[in-house]
Amino acid sequence: MTELSGRLQATFVPAEDAIAWWGVAELDDAVREHGLPMGRPGVCRLAVADRDGVRPASVPVRFADLDAARQGLLMLDPRARVGASLRAWRDAARLLDADDEAFGWLGARMPPAAHAVLNADGTAITAAPTLLAQFRQAVATRIALRSTGIATELRPYQVHGVAWLSARPGLGHGGILADEMGLGKTVQAICMLATRRSAAPHLVICPTSLIGNWRRELARFAPATPVVGYHGASRALPQSYSPGTVVVTSYPVLRKDEPLANTAWDVVILDEAQQIKNPEALASRAAAQLSAAVRIAMTGTPVENRLEELWSVLNVTNPGLLGTRGRFRQRFVAPIEQRRSATAAAALNRMVGPHLLRRTKAEVAADLPPKQYSTIVCTMTDEQARLYREAVGKAFAAGLGDGIERSGRVLALLTALKQICNHPAQYLHEDTAQPGRSGKFDRATEMLTEVVEQDDRVLVFTQYRAMGELLSKHFGTALGVGPIPFLHGGLSTQRRDQLVHAFQEDDDAPPVLLLSLRAAGFGLNLTRASHVMHYDRWWNPAVEEQATDRAHRIGQLRTLNVHTLVTGGTIEDHIAQMHENKRGVAEIVSGDTQAALARLSDDDLHAVLALDPGAFA
Amino acid sequence: MPAEFGATPWGRAWVRTIESTSTAGPNALLPRARTLARNTTTVVAAGTGHVEADVAVSGEVCRVRIDLPVWPDETQAEAARLVAKAMAEHRGMAAGDLPDMLEADFRRHAISIAVRLEEQHSGCTCRARPRPCVHILATIYALAQLVDERPALAVELRSATAKVTVAADPDWVVLSDLDPAGFYGD
Repeated sequence: MTELSGRLQATFVPAEDAIAWWGVAELDDAVREHGLPMGRPGVCRLAVADRDGVRPASVPVRFADLDAARQGLLMLDPRARVGASLRAWRDAARLLDADDEAFGWLGARMPPAAHAVLNADGTAITAAPTLLAQFRQAVATRIALRSTGIATELRPYQVHGVAWLSARPGLGHGGILADEMGLGKTVQAICMLATRRSAAPHLVICPTSLIGNWRRELARFAPATPVVGYHGASRALPQSYSPGTVVVTSYPVLRKDEPLANTAWDVVILDEAQQIKNPEALASRAAAQLSAAVRIAMTGTPVENRLEELWSVLNVTNPGLLGTRGRFRQRFVAPIEQRRSATAAAALNRMVGPHLLRRTKAEVAADLPPKQYSTIVCTMTDEQARLYREAVGKAFAAGLGDGIERSGRVLALLTALKQICNHPAQYLHEDTAQPGRSGKFDRATEMLTEVVEQDDRVLVFTQYRAMGELLSKHFGTALGVGPIPFLHGGLSTQRRDQLVHAFQEDDDAPPVLLLSLRAAGFGLNLTRASHVMHYDRWWNPAVEEQATDRAHRIGQLRTLNVHTLVTGGTIEDHIAQMHENKRGVAEIVSGDTQAALARLSDDDLHAVLALDPGAFA
Repeated sequence: MPAEFGATPWGRAWVRTIESTSTAGPNALLPRARTLARNTTTVVAAGTGHVEADVAVSGEVCRVRIDLPVWPDETQAEAARLVAKAMAEHRGMAAGDLPDMLEADFRRHAISIAVRLEEQHSGCTCRARPRPCVHILATIYALAQLVDERPALAVELRSATAKVTVAADPDWVVLSDLDPAGFYGD
């Protein structure tokens, strides 16, 4: 049992973006008695003291949101009988506009209880000046987020992530944001960029398939941020930039592009940093040579376990931190990989820890909803765009007719367009789907790789048997986890049961299960999946939701991530936006989408189907 | 892949003390010493002037302690000067590392990093004769690996003054440094 101090204590906990009240048995009563905000209940790893010494403990706390906590501290009765740690944080709340010297004095007289936040192995607490600096950064970040008009409510761990990112430039080096997939790395990076309205522009580098998604997310979360897309043959950088401009480009462009290399950037974000895991690769070298105030890498794969890759990424974000590659091998790779040296591993953790922020879904579970939806806008390849334009042009040139004939032709055209969005190989009836030909296909592969590496399980839905076969074949080799089963209507009931059973019960079964949307409507219990991916759209939210619920169980504690892939600028995208905005032709939004489309005039139909060039600019 | 023992010139200097070619043929105990170093040797302390290790052999643990003469004062001063110069020339070395140039500098100034076997004062709880026993040899192999991981240790072993390590991380306070009486401040 924890030896309690008897008086109410307070400690700023950066990871929770909150001040923790703790230290007395009747915690809720004490918090209420002093007029402090109740916040949310939780358990926090803190140092506590008793007669024998100071030791780590799991302490019941109330986490008060930083803004509310500051208000409460400012209102606190000066005569209140509370712990010295709480009085110290009241002083910190009052000091916010003061200078560094005043904070220096406060840091010197804070009791350890005020900064009792433990490190990962529970052997040390954060130093007072460090925690005060993080407190000021967190408050400044919140103020900046409010004044920038960020169009979303961030979760506490995300606010901490933004504060962590925003502190990097001041510390003079970059870092790696390595949160698990589904925790919102992109939105945290966008908030960091949007709150730094520097004269020098920012640069986002991502896989080609994600360019559209970045532009969309920037417009959605930080509508005031000027964004410039920089890819394609006719790309050009502007002559001058308005403050805080974000340029979005891709790794293939980065490899050999002089204008990028000749620009002085403020923040450079390297999304999907697996792309620079090989230090010899052109992209890695180009990234390391960019002129930037700070370089931030983002990845969902746990790089810290792959030493050579870790070196390569840190060589871009924090040059020199780990020494030369050869020396790193001598000091760390050989000792850790060959003989599991605990001293080398601990030393490496100490060196890398401050520069890597990784949270898992399990760690932030309390902040997450039971189901979390995300739409990933994928960028078309040139081949897809050409086939798409040709299909639309041909259909309209031949005429769509009317009546039954029109329905049939519109349906055929829609099917063709959806196949092209999926993969040209599906449209062209080829046996094998290669990477590099479909934005959605490449993005799906990247995401599933991450899920598999996280030891998570995922269901992938498609409405097309042919696409399911192509995906099954491709994932079977690309993911390296053996053949990927495909559950569809053509299988016997017995075989379907086998697949479901293996996915649910068998630890050796592949962690990915492909399903045809139609075959997976009812009765399947696939709750072991923590991710669901809709590879293509049914355009009936109810059907999709029913499929999603194969993996969701009421009362399930773990968050289910639902990822929907959409090809930017296409029919998929237009209809997804109509569903989201609940705007547009009523039947498209609520009823039978395909029938509704068939009833549109040629002009209206063309407007919905035609490729939106804006999605490519 | 780098050598298992003596991947850096710093660790190699220590390996050479037992794999010396000047003696009459290789020591027959060395293969077994490497096996022990690989599998069952735990260095419990390595600091200025001494190394201690536990070496487990068929269920029993031999305790080894090796005392190493520190450098004479003038050598320590010279070493400190060379370290400072090397670090200034190689700004931004990773924590715990030393430039390999420095090792060559030391040799040029006749400063030996490692201690020759005959100058070490070693003890082991085993009863084996002759000395050094296989456990002492295993300890030196294990020490060489520690030095490979953190070359700065090579200098720390021989000098109390040559400051090569950065001070403790200013962002953290170790629990054992905290006084329970003043923890809550009232």
